[in-house]
Amino acid sequence: MKNIWFGVVIGAAFVGPAAAQSADPEKLLHPPADAWLTYHGEYNGQRHSRLGQITPQNIAHLEQVWRFQTGQNQAIKASPILSGGVLYLTAPDNLWAIDARTGKELWHYRHPMNDAFHIGHRGAAILKDTVYLTTPDCHLIAFNAKDGKIKWDVLIADSNKGYWSTNAPLIVRNHVLVGVSGDFDNVPGQLKSIDAETGKTQWIFYSTPPPGRADSQADGTTGGQMWTTGTYDPELNLVFVGTGNPTPVLNGAARPGDNPWTCSIVALNPDTGKLVWGFQVSPHDTHDWDANEVPVLADADFGGQPRKLLMQASRNGYFFVLDRTNGKSILTAPFATVNWAKGIDALGRPIPDPAKEPKKDGVLVAPNEGGATNFRPPSFDSKTGFFIVSAVDGYGIYFFKNEHGGYGWAGADYSLAGKSFLRAIDYRSGTIAWDHPLGDGSGTAGVLTTDTGLTISGDNRASVLALRTSDGATLWHANIGRVQNAPITYELDGKQFVIVGGGSSLYAFALR
Amino acid sequence: MEDVVMNRKQYLSILGTALLTASSLAAQQPRVLRDPTQSPAALPRPKAAAPQSYPAEEIKVGEQRFGAQCGFCHGRDAAGGESGPDLTRSELVAQDMRGDKIGPLLRAGRPDAGMPSFSLSVSDVDAIVAFLHNQMEKFATLGGGRRTVEPADLATGNAADGKAYFNGAGGCSQCHSLTGDLAGIASRYKGLALLQRMLYPSGRPAPSPAKAIFTLDTGQTVVIAPLVAEDEFSVTVLDPLGARQTFQRGEVQVKIDDPMSAHFTQLGKYTDADMHNLFAYLDTLK
Repeated sequence: MKNIWFGVVIGAAFVGPAAAQSADPEKLLHPPADAWLTYHGEYNGQRHSRLGQITPQNIAHLEQVWRFQTGQNQAIKASPILSGGVLYLTAPDNLWAIDARTGKELWHYRHPMNDAFHIGHRGAAILKDTVYLTTPDCHLIAFNAKDGKIKWDVLIADSNKGYWSTNAPLIVRNHVLVGVSGDFDNVPGQLKSIDAETGKTQWIFYSTPPPGRADSQADGTTGGQMWTTGTYDPELNLVFVGTGNPTPVLNGAARPGDNPWTCSIVALNPDTGKLVWGFQVSPHDTHDWDANEVPVLADADFGGQPRKLLMQASRNGYFFVLDRTNGKSILTAPFATVNWAKGIDALGRPIPDPAKEPKKDGVLVAPNEGGATNFRPPSFDSKTGFFIVSAVDGYGIYFFKNEHGGYGWAGADYSLAGKSFLRAIDYRSGTIAWDHPLGDGSGTAGVLTTDTGLTISGDNRASVLALRTSDGATLWHANIGRVQNAPITYELDGKQFVIVGGGSSLYAFALR
Repeated sequence: MEDVVMNRKQYLSILGTALLTASSLAAQQPRVLRDPTQSPAALPRPKAAAPQSYPAEEIKVGEQRFGAQCGFCHGRDAAGGESGPDLTRSELVAQDMRGDKIGPLLRAGRPDAGMPSFSLSVSDVDAIVAFLHNQMEKFATLGGGRRTVEPADLATGNAADGKAYFNGAGGCSQCHSLTGDLAGIASRYKGLALLQRMLYPSGRPAPSPAKAIFTLDTGQTVVIAPLVAEDEFSVTVLDPLGARQTFQRGEVQVKIDDPMSAHFTQLGKYTDADMHNLFAYLDTLK
């Protein structure tokens, strides 16, 4: 792999609106109203805005302000970030800087064509005046936020070995944390910390350490990729990341035991990359149920005690509440149709039922491979205590026979059917407070909640929806194409904007 | 042209009258459901750059050569093995035109990826090329892909128990008939395709498509099938002339009757033994 770039920056070198502010580390800790500086908006991953201009009472007056077309075949799957009045939006091999007031392109970077996997892209990251982009062929590129000039370009993994990247980096101080994907090859799961200034690697955390290291597992497991963006607790100085499924994917016999730290939530020290604790949400997964869903952080009461909580609605169909100081389980409860576990063990982990591991003649399993939820980020509304997630009740059939071997997928599975819902889970009990049907199949939209009691997301056809957080009733919708990203919100010039992708266009809404 | 745009309720009313006199619906289109998965592995396979066909004889020779030379790493079916990737999903195979990319790769190998070079005769290379294109096409039409599920793999159930389930606990006989829609079903669908169709026949011609049942202000009901799409705001049907008609839910009273919902409910009831037994029974309906 050549460590040079042939990229093209298209557009103007002079950028008016970006000249003003820089996204310094202090701002990342306390984001102002006129910014959305990280993939989740805030380090806690709640995707809950305190902006109060748009309310259930006036949302009927929400209307489109501008629309930006990416011109790509692929729908927008990224959450844009906003800094200094400029939105940074990504798609595989593409990064746009867009004037947040008008929706006009300020500059555009197009990465050279490459053969890596182009499944989607989750977003960019910013620190001070530098924007960071991962590419399918596993480059991490640092751009001057003002004009898109490349500062440096480094490789974070070898795409020829089966890695690719869709990752929106998580920035903590001078650490740019980047993950990769790779399910079709037996490759170790790795998260890298890159120096924000120089592009030099600071540390690598392996969820499945390769052979020859002191911490390698002897169980034959690879995988456990960390392809989604984690969360961060500055007081504990811990980064929380979900890890993906083990490989070989469906052949569990090739990798006996629990296969740590695949399908897990891990807490890492961002300065050293050392594991502080791990919690495995799917021990010995044989269904491709990544635990990459957002580990959402909240300081809230549980059982009458103030607790430092971490919550995840996981692809395997279970909702987990952990004490994030030590990774101990507080609550485990199913939030979707599940039939693969025999119960919950003493540590709070589901116990996989061997009868539901893939078989030669097939087993009927709920959820299906796409999972009870997936990459689409949920939101936590502390007022109601509702953890709102795009959920699926679905079924698939799973096959494995010895002839399928021990490499990559190593088996076959087929999704049969699913029904999806925006689902409000009461974090205190794990019970479902309300369900809002989204349609057949699997949802694709992330969730945003606001302090005024709004839940913004999308259905499975072509609408962006605003629901009442208390009961899930529809208050507003707009037919913009299918939403496949997570909406964001910010305030500029005294006006609150809601930004959401519909198909391959990005839409800005505000009150009339 | 504003004046020709009919009020939706007027349209329904006229259609209702027309349907009362019509004996059956003209159009019976399959209901198209979305692929529910979003996972990397659910991505479409690469499409062949150009359609290519090869003589069966050559494919057969290629299967043997491939099995011997390449099967150890790539699997005998080319769908991936212990150390080599799934070639039925290979972009290089997809882009190959009669060996122009596969040939040079075979001769040069990929030493950095652990693939040796092969000194094969021109006819052997041609045969392997034919086999790979044929496998890619075969796996693509299987749908969902990855690894093969052979009909023999599925033959573990008890047909007599399946028959009892069909007529009893499964409730299948309430909608289906052995002499009607299921006559000869096992001749039309085999193996995995029959199993998938039994469990949830989505994306394939459905024996009875979903219907939209409208209630007019007069109290008359108008049933239109098939339903094309619906969400919480609108309902789209194919009218008897084959045109899509969309109704806002706020403007009309409409209910959806989807026979597939019984299949969905049943997915939550089958034991794996029920599933295998019922499959064994359906597999006897040749």
